[in-house]
Amino acid sequence: MLKNIFTTLRNCQCLSKSYSTLNPLEPRKLLFPPKYLKPRQAWVENLDTIDEKKLGLIDLHPEVFADSPRIDVIHQNVRWQRMYGNVCYAHTKVRSEVRGGGKKPFPQKGLGRSRHGSIRSPLWKGGGVIHGPRSPTPHFYMLPFYTRVMGLTSTLSIKLAQDDLHVVNNLDLPSDDPKFIEELVKSRNWGPSVLFVDISDIMPRNITAASDTIKHFNLMPVYGLNVYSMLKHDTLILTARAVDLIEEKLLTHLHRNNPLDVSSKFKVNHT
Amino acid sequence: MSGNITEKALGLLRSLPRVCLANLRDAPGARKQKRRGRGQHGGDKHGAGNKGSLQRQNYTRVGYETGNNPFYLRFPMEPYYKGQHMRRQYPPLSLLTLQTMIDTNRIDTTKPIDLVTLFNTGIFRISPAEHQFGVQLTDEGADVFKAKVNVEVQWASEIVIAAIERMGGVITMAYYDQHSLQAMVNPEKFFYRGIPIPPRKIPPQDVIEYYSDPVSRGYLADPEKVSYERFVLSQKYGYVLPNLEEDENYEMLVERKDPRQIFYGLNPGWVVNLRDKVILKPQDEELQKYYNS
Repeated sequence: MLKNIFTTLRNCQCLSKSYSTLNPLEPRKLLFPPKYLKPRQAWVENLDTIDEKKLGLIDLHPEVFADSPRIDVIHQNVRWQRMYGNVCYAHTKVRSEVRGGGKKPFPQKGLGRSRHGSIRSPLWKGGGVIHGPRSPTPHFYMLPFYTRVMGLTSTLSIKLAQDDLHVVNNLDLPSDDPKFIEELVKSRNWGPSVLFVDISDIMPRNITAASDTIKHFNLMPVYGLNVYSMLKHDTLILTARAVDLIEEKLLTHLHRNNPLDVSSKFKVNHT
Repeated sequence: MSGNITEKALGLLRSLPRVCLANLRDAPGARKQKRRGRGQHGGDKHGAGNKGSLQRQNYTRVGYETGNNPFYLRFPMEPYYKGQHMRRQYPPLSLLTLQTMIDTNRIDTTKPIDLVTLFNTGIFRISPAEHQFGVQLTDEGADVFKAKVNVEVQWASEIVIAAIERMGGVITMAYYDQHSLQAMVNPEKFFYRGIPIPPRKIPPQDVIEYYSDPVSRGYLADPEKVSYERFVLSQKYGYVLPNLEEDENYEMLVERKDPRQIFYGLNPGWVVNLRDKVILKPQDEELQKYYNS
């Protein structure tokens, strides 16, 4: 059974890579070191006790965690995420589709009435509808690639600036009791809803069991991280390894020398 | 400057309510909604204007002058553009751009530069399907060109040739047919197709002279005549021609492709298997004969 799960793991090449081990004394080496901007810093906390222990400081890349807070770009991302999977099935009938209405209702002249050719004309009650919704209306569109990248950096920056982003060393809890994690979140003033992010989609057993019954504590792998979910949850908890992976992925795109390949027009893969 | 603004904005956010799904908005005026005509305007003009051919789409054909002898028929035909759609195009790349690519480490000058090198920079593309047959090197930035390169292009003017040879470089004009170009545009994609590398075709009749002319540094020209023409050009433009034989990169500078060859180091007929990381070479005598001819 477990074998089946492992074979279907998506985007988890990261499991085989080595990430910077967390050593508070050793400053983290940033990819694409920023020339003019200072790195941001965040405390690395623990999850294994209810009281917060500060394990060390972690440097965060300013291009990812101190990007300009573009509310409009975030709005575009959220709008796109809400829209692209949406198909509208609202449907109205035009005059030719409404039942009946083939015969001229009354002669053209001689009755003192206005001229009419069909009882299903849009002027008539029970007639066809003009400019009505037609089903199915897909609302799929693709947001430009770098707007999506900027949405992620803006959201991460805002979360950090508003103290809604916390870095933890790992997601290991001492017990699988939901009360423990509720207590922990409450004592640390984390918002009611919390999103925990780790690198892979197989999380430690205790946090999985503990958060299973609490609908507003959610777990997410880095490959699923998105603007909508980050904003839906009040607080975002990243593991140190997740910070590494997020920075690596976003900085790769921000510094790639062949942006043509990703910013060209989106094509649906038909195969 | 922008960093400062970002810092201010992020600092401001610390004292503002939490940004969440409920308080997002687009930049003012960024999105204007299109509305169909409502109420009594529902069955209006639909953006087509008022009456006539514009509304009914019965336009007269282009150039028709309602009975006059049309302008386009008034004069005898002068076929300036005959066969224009069939002509070979060579999208331009200036020496300045080439120098910039070298300076920004997109191109390694210790290896010969050909079309594949240019495509691999990620900022130069051609489409063979649109009759683009390679690149022409233009003379913009000829006076600031400082690199010593072995470059192979499809078309270049005399000034460009002089600018490259003045710095001790070498330039060759080489012809590639459309099938070869298609393989070069994205070699990885071509190798994944699992088909043998095709032999390069010889140039068509109208350009075979250009590509076998030592003056234009054609790839089919006699190398001795080419070296003589290099000297002649240096005399014409008045620069001292650096001696190739004494150059430390002599091996690289004299490297040329075979007229049948498309990729450096790979011969026609070979199959590059990227999955198993092996190169398969034809064993059959007939195949060898075909690809070596």
